[in-house]
Amino acid sequence: MTRILSGVIALLVLLAGALLWVGQMGPTDALIFENPRVRLTPGTGPMAGYVTIRNRSDREVALVGARSPQFGQVMLHRTVIRDGQARMEHQDRVPIAPGSVVEFRPGDLHLMLMRRQQRLNVGDPVEIVFEFDGIKPGEWTLGFTVVPVTAQ
Amino acid sequence: MTRRAWLRLATPVALLCAALLAACGDRSWNGKDISHLMPALEFELTDESGAVVDQSLFAGRPVAIYFGFTECPDVCPMTLAKLTAAARRLPPGPRERLQLAFVSVDPARDTPARLADYTEAFSDAMLGLTGSQAQLQALTRRYRITYGYEEPDAQGNYEVSHSSAIFVFNESLEAELMLLDNLSIDQMHSDLERLLEDG
Repeated sequence: MTRILSGVIALLVLLAGALLWVGQMGPTDALIFENPRVRLTPGTGPMAGYVTIRNRSDREVALVGARSPQFGQVMLHRTVIRDGQARMEHQDRVPIAPGSVVEFRPGDLHLMLMRRQQRLNVGDPVEIVFEFDGIKPGEWTLGFTVVPVTAQ
Repeated sequence: MTRRAWLRLATPVALLCAALLAACGDRSWNGKDISHLMPALEFELTDESGAVVDQSLFAGRPVAIYFGFTECPDVCPMTLAKLTAAARRLPPGPRERLQLAFVSVDPARDTPARLADYTEAFSDAMLGLTGSQAQLQALTRRYRITYGYEEPDAQGNYEVSHSSAIFVFNESLEAELMLLDNLSIDQMHSDLERLLEDG
């Protein structure tokens, strides 16, 4: 009897969890963010933030800016390697076509996080607010995690 | 298909397999072989302790050198993380012999103390070096690479362009390999392992 009862309770808990999860997804999640992380670089210099952004809406959206309470300035950058020479290019707009994915990843697009306002350690949360064009609301706040400098 | 047809097909297939095997057994590297293209290592720079050093510092040890700057948030940590991961996978003997070096081409910001903190975060086997513009230019020109500074922003921050390759020298400090940034850790590791085996 106890076993049946605990089985029923477990099922209800699972169902409630699933409902809550689906409820949170909702129709507002036109944008999906995956694997948000910030690479901890030694010292006080700029750090890089990486994330995969999926546009599930039927319209093009564009990332036009970002800010963080933990950094003085956040810029959208792309590492460009030409003829064996590496440099960074500032991006005013990063368009994401409907149904497509843009990946901020090492050696490519990244968030350049400048002037850290506090000491950061591996595992610390970093809040970054993204500003999008072509979607309402335009601001999306996302939690990043600090990963070691040697993370791949 | 007749037996004859099978045989007719078998010969070119066998030849192709043999050719593929031969290609795999070839001394081809994942990186670029620079052994006959680039001169032996020679430099005068300042190390993490502020001491003036030259190439004799590395004599008898193979060394992998990367040129960058510590305020580089993306490509430098990415490449150095790959290099240290590849080095860490080497068997203990070769791993202890291999010296890693990070040459900052941004001496205005990268002081010896700052370089020490930076390289320590990657590996105990990594040494930070920098120098005067004349010293850095002598070294980079020797390996046909360049670096440059972009206009500073309102806060005085500026970007530095630099080579994206890792230069590997053998224990006689002769140039061996150029490992490009697009190589995977596995590819870097297999090149380093083979180079250190030969040494």
